[in-house]
Amino acid sequence: MAEITAQNKWEPLAAQTADREKIWSKSRTFAGDVWFRFRHKPTAIAGFILILVLALFALVGPFFTAFDYAQQNLEVVNIPPIMKVYQAPDGGYLYITTALKLVRVDEHGKLQGQLKRVREEDAKSMTIYDAGGTEVALYYGGSTYVVADEATGNIYPSRFIRNGSYLLGTDSLGRDVLTRLMYGTRISLMVALMATLVNMLIGILYGGIAGYAGGAVDTVMMRIVDIISTIPLTLYVILIMQVLGSGLQSIVVALGSVYWVDMARVVRGQILSLKQQEFVLAAKTIGSSPKTILLEHMIPNALGSILVTMTMLIPSAIFMEAFLGYLGIGLQPPLASLGTMCNDASANLRTSPHELLFPALMICAIMFAFNFVGDGLRDALDPKLKK
Amino acid sequence: MLKFIAKRIGTMLVAMFMIILLTFTLMHAIPGGPFTNPKGMSEEVLAAMEAKYGLDQPMPVQFVNYLGNLLHGDLGPSYKYTGKTVNDFIATGAPVSAKLGLVTLIFVLLTSIPMGILAALKNNRWQDMLLMAVATIGVTIPSFVIASVLIYAFAFKLNVLPTFGLDSWKSYILPVVAMGGYSVSYLARLMRSSLLEVMGQDYIRTARAKGLTEFAVVTKHALRNAMIPVITVLGPTVAGLLTGSFVIEKIFAIPGIGYYFVNSVTQRDYTTIMGVTVFFAAFLMAMVLLVDVFYCLIDPRIQFDA
Repeated sequence: MAEITAQNKWEPLAAQTADREKIWSKSRTFAGDVWFRFRHKPTAIAGFILILVLALFALVGPFFTAFDYAQQNLEVVNIPPIMKVYQAPDGGYLYITTALKLVRVDEHGKLQGQLKRVREEDAKSMTIYDAGGTEVALYYGGSTYVVADEATGNIYPSRFIRNGSYLLGTDSLGRDVLTRLMYGTRISLMVALMATLVNMLIGILYGGIAGYAGGAVDTVMMRIVDIISTIPLTLYVILIMQVLGSGLQSIVVALGSVYWVDMARVVRGQILSLKQQEFVLAAKTIGSSPKTILLEHMIPNALGSILVTMTMLIPSAIFMEAFLGYLGIGLQPPLASLGTMCNDASANLRTSPHELLFPALMICAIMFAFNFVGDGLRDALDPKLKK
Repeated sequence: MLKFIAKRIGTMLVAMFMIILLTFTLMHAIPGGPFTNPKGMSEEVLAAMEAKYGLDQPMPVQFVNYLGNLLHGDLGPSYKYTGKTVNDFIATGAPVSAKLGLVTLIFVLLTSIPMGILAALKNNRWQDMLLMAVATIGVTIPSFVIASVLIYAFAFKLNVLPTFGLDSWKSYILPVVAMGGYSVSYLARLMRSSLLEVMGQDYIRTARAKGLTEFAVVTKHALRNAMIPVITVLGPTVAGLLTGSFVIEKIFAIPGIGYYFVNSVTQRDYTTIMGVTVFFAAFLMAMVLLVDVFYCLIDPRIQFDA
């Protein structure tokens, strides 16, 4: 286009029809569009990044820890991540465990095993331990227990120190909480993903067939779905777990076989509306089999709502798995999931709250992440659905 | 109207039959009989026990017997506690659970609805942001985590509330808050979005135009319609509260029906599992039906034959 100046102001412009019809911006694909909308929702992106970080933590994390999830060390049970330690007379520190044992701690917070008990001084409410030749007394007469010099009764100076051996402390069997958290997250995520996939497959097939077949088949199939949705499913997951016995596969089967009802409804609705469209008619005219039409033409078009329903299913599967684990009908020990970790920790809640805190925080983080991503995906894939 | 209710009851009966059949099949599919134990019982004793409870008969006969007993309200004997029947467990557990559930439901309604209304009226201001942040956190935290945090804070650290039983009004506070936390958050969010939508409608503008006070507009005109979605989810909410009670009753050692259920599951007391499941299912379905009927009564726009 020529520049307009004072001189050529009154001259006719060149024919612009070509320019006018031209689409100046780059055309975006559907996926590009979805990604654009998704990207512009901060909560969705935050959730997405959180999921990546958590997955990395669960998958790669175990390579970087010195411990195994089942490795017990009964000398150091219920040690918190931040310990109150007492200065020992021979240098180093002493930590009082919840079971009233003394554990030697070096200046970097590394745990070095229990001290040997020498004798009881019942009259003074003291237990005497041998700290590298000198005797120290654990005084348990007061409300908080302290380490003191037996003869003089002087309390050794105390301070707080970070746990150098176990970053997040140990549980009631002396297992590393951090390592168990990694494995627990891994198992919880895996159970949720597998269960969601199973649900998705059943739901897509069931809903797809009902929607495509229509008529009496549809009515009967949807009546069955109506009846199933009135059954309290939590009870059935528990019953199925009873039949299959506890274990990883049982949870996946139990969760997968029960929660497909919503998916089936969503898919059926989509298929019903897609059935009216021309491309289905076109596919029928060229003689495609119902299977081809359903699986290759209709399901890909319904993928948006399927994806949204799926991301909403994942958090409920994680919730359910945690619920089962907490009731003690989930996994077989020593396998850990976030729910079973919470269950194990609830017995020592009063003295060692850290054992419950970390798995609980992890569950919340996962729930947050998937909920945000689900919301973001819903808005991105189908802006009409936005409330 | 009557036709609708009859149809719903019909569906419910079919569902109930399916539940009984499913529960029965599942419980009998468990490997090993109820009296199989590692210590070993002599063959004769085992046979006598099975004959006593009718377990030696073919499966369909057992099912028909069970169904017949159910119709008389008899859920069968407990296999683990001799002399106790499943009815005993339900009779002792159900009133406790019902009381806790009712208090929780009242708590949920009394907190969530005002929260939602406040958030909607203060849309996009700090009150809204704060309430919705709380509600978002509320739907992501499992009830057992809320319960544990509450116990740690109020019972262990501050030492002001008891951690178990249901003896005084004080002991209700923690279980009710823990159990209702999710529902409060969920309903508050629902109430907010529903009220926001209603407040944007033409008849609200009309009400304002004719000079009504904002209070009258909200309470007399907007709330009535905004409550409908909330009432719709009341049925599932009641169901959720009741299944949530498994965990809560376990944590707070409340001898309700969920406590017996979890106990019977861990002790493999098959008749109790079966009986409590059937009872629970029947109760939940009745609640959902009740809410549905109520829902149709308050909203004349809803087609009864839907």
